[in-house]
Amino acid sequence: MRVVQTQQWVPLVAVKPLDGLLAYRAHCLAVSRASLRERRGLRRSPITGLPLERVGDIDGLPYGRCPASGGWFLMELPSPERWARVLEEVNRFRRSPETFHAELAQSRADAVYAPKLEWIGETLRLHGLAHPVMLEAMTAPSHFTTILRESALCRDVVTADEMALANGLPDARSGPMAQAAVLLESLDRVNDPAGLLRGVAGRLEESGLLFVTALVASGFDLSVLGLKNLYLYPPDRTNCFSLQGLSQLLERSGFDLVEMSTPGVLDIQIVRAHLARDQGVPLSAFERQLVEMDEEGQAALQAFLQQRGLSSFARIVARRRVETA
Amino acid sequence: MRCLIFGYGYMGKIRCQALRHHPLVRQITVVDPALDPAVAGSADIELVSGEPIPWERADAAFICTPNHVTAPLCVEALRRVGRVFCEKPPGRNWEEFSRIAEAAARAPGHTLVFGFNHRLHPCIEAARALIGEGGLGDVLYLKGTYGKSGGARYRENWRNNPEIAGGGILLDQGIHMLDLFHLFLGELSVVEAVLTDGFWGCGLEDNAFVLLRSERGVPAFLHSSATLWKHTFRVEIGCRDGYVMASGLLSKTGSYGREQLVIGRRQFEDEALAIGNPREEIIQFDRDESWEREVHEFLTAAKDGRPAAHGTLEDARRVMQVVRDVYALSPPTRAAVSDPGRR
Repeated sequence: MRVVQTQQWVPLVAVKPLDGLLAYRAHCLAVSRASLRERRGLRRSPITGLPLERVGDIDGLPYGRCPASGGWFLMELPSPERWARVLEEVNRFRRSPETFHAELAQSRADAVYAPKLEWIGETLRLHGLAHPVMLEAMTAPSHFTTILRESALCRDVVTADEMALANGLPDARSGPMAQAAVLLESLDRVNDPAGLLRGVAGRLEESGLLFVTALVASGFDLSVLGLKNLYLYPPDRTNCFSLQGLSQLLERSGFDLVEMSTPGVLDIQIVRAHLARDQGVPLSAFERQLVEMDEEGQAALQAFLQQRGLSSFARIVARRRVETA
Repeated sequence: MRCLIFGYGYMGKIRCQALRHHPLVRQITVVDPALDPAVAGSADIELVSGEPIPWERADAAFICTPNHVTAPLCVEALRRVGRVFCEKPPGRNWEEFSRIAEAAARAPGHTLVFGFNHRLHPCIEAARALIGEGGLGDVLYLKGTYGKSGGARYRENWRNNPEIAGGGILLDQGIHMLDLFHLFLGELSVVEAVLTDGFWGCGLEDNAFVLLRSERGVPAFLHSSATLWKHTFRVEIGCRDGYVMASGLLSKTGSYGREQLVIGRRQFEDEALAIGNPREEIIQFDRDESWEREVHEFLTAAKDGRPAAHGTLEDARRVMQVVRDVYALSPPTRAAVSDPGRR
């Protein structure tokens, strides 16, 4: 297994500014809350199946912790069909001119999508996988599908609805087999992450590579701010695994880990942005010292978080295990 | 396959370990005069401390001995067994290498592999995948530093006895870097070299600075050293569209640092802020399978009767030719600052 560190400085305001996020977040919460007025079910840990331990609420929506691996999960969800509609609605809103995503389209393309594409390209080359058929599991439409298609990295890019895959719907199960697959924060959103991995495995050839990105609760800004982290909300962060939990989930779902990295660059900036907005954010004196260091100190701390798997942005490459008789 | 291992020092033990776990191997016999005859082997390893050498019970031989016996043993093993894995260096000098090459030519259907495992280190394999058509473009230059500190008993080691070793740090450790240079650039010729014996005073070079050029004119520079007080392995490859820097080596002691590859891309079009300071990615590796894979390649090539994919006679010829030319150009000189008594 390998670990990747990124030396790049990206300003938070160029990719997901806290102020700009708030309107989008409020919309996400409203849509999620509305969906839960219907029939709702109590969830268990997606990794172990153990009951979740309630840790608090995010705007009245209860989150629970997996007792074995950490990580936080929205404790209640409506039916899969209803949740799929929530994801569609939020995706539509994300693409509308009303959100920061549209305003920052160019800087997000440079700082968010380009590095992901480079990562995928490099990994494919390192594994001698030239021009694979790539499966992208997502809620349509996805910017990344276009970016992948235009990149010439893949022979073909096929898409599958992430909720349909997660819930084993027949349409998602059929389709061409792929040599590689990508899940950009899909595991964070769907009602059944293990189901999604089963669905992807069913469309991925043996030894095929799976690219996963996720925000992880074991990372710095999420650990320090806990549920007060404004970047934590459903449906985008319905599931916020720990890095350990994510690796367990992948291994239990028939994948071997090839790379597990946390090359995030925003952890300290995120905590600082919360502090700037609300001095009452409950940080210990030591945590305050850390995030209030000068630029050089912040860069060194962020580099350390990357090296030690302690940033909140995780990037994982896994290989579909070869079944043995 | 029944394997004979000659020499049970550091390398002999590493090879033995790799062979023990290989499915093609059914018997291992270790031959080393330094073995205590009273010490029994184990269920899967027979220990032999002297004559006669049980050639008749061998399908393959591993030569893991000090340099002065490498060539004669390799020649004998080629004649008797035909399947030979030989640790680097392939002889103490060009003449000994030539004897091995002649013996190989007289052994039709032979399998001969030399131990250049650095090619199989993950940072090197990753660098290979990314340069050239891997996205970083053609190589513009290459720089390599490989060195160790020697240690308190450095002078007593056979590696630093001119009669036994045949060469200094260039032949001992620098040869790995030369092999990597060839891997990336193909055939190389020596432009200039400076060898010094400035600290250890063994009569062998403890520092080698070698400037080389590929057939396509790409320059390469090697610093091989036995006076790098901080153990260092670093290869820097500049390409048209970016660069890679491999450093650190996964080793038993970890003294060379964490094995990693830095990847950077040239950025000076439409990215004014990034000029001279591109985004870098650092891949860190945690598993070195080079020993096992090297042995596996030798055994499967021997079994299938095909040439091995690496560590070939041609690979050995290339590095030994450079070593020969460097030694011809620059015998090691005592540096003016040298004062062995001062240590």
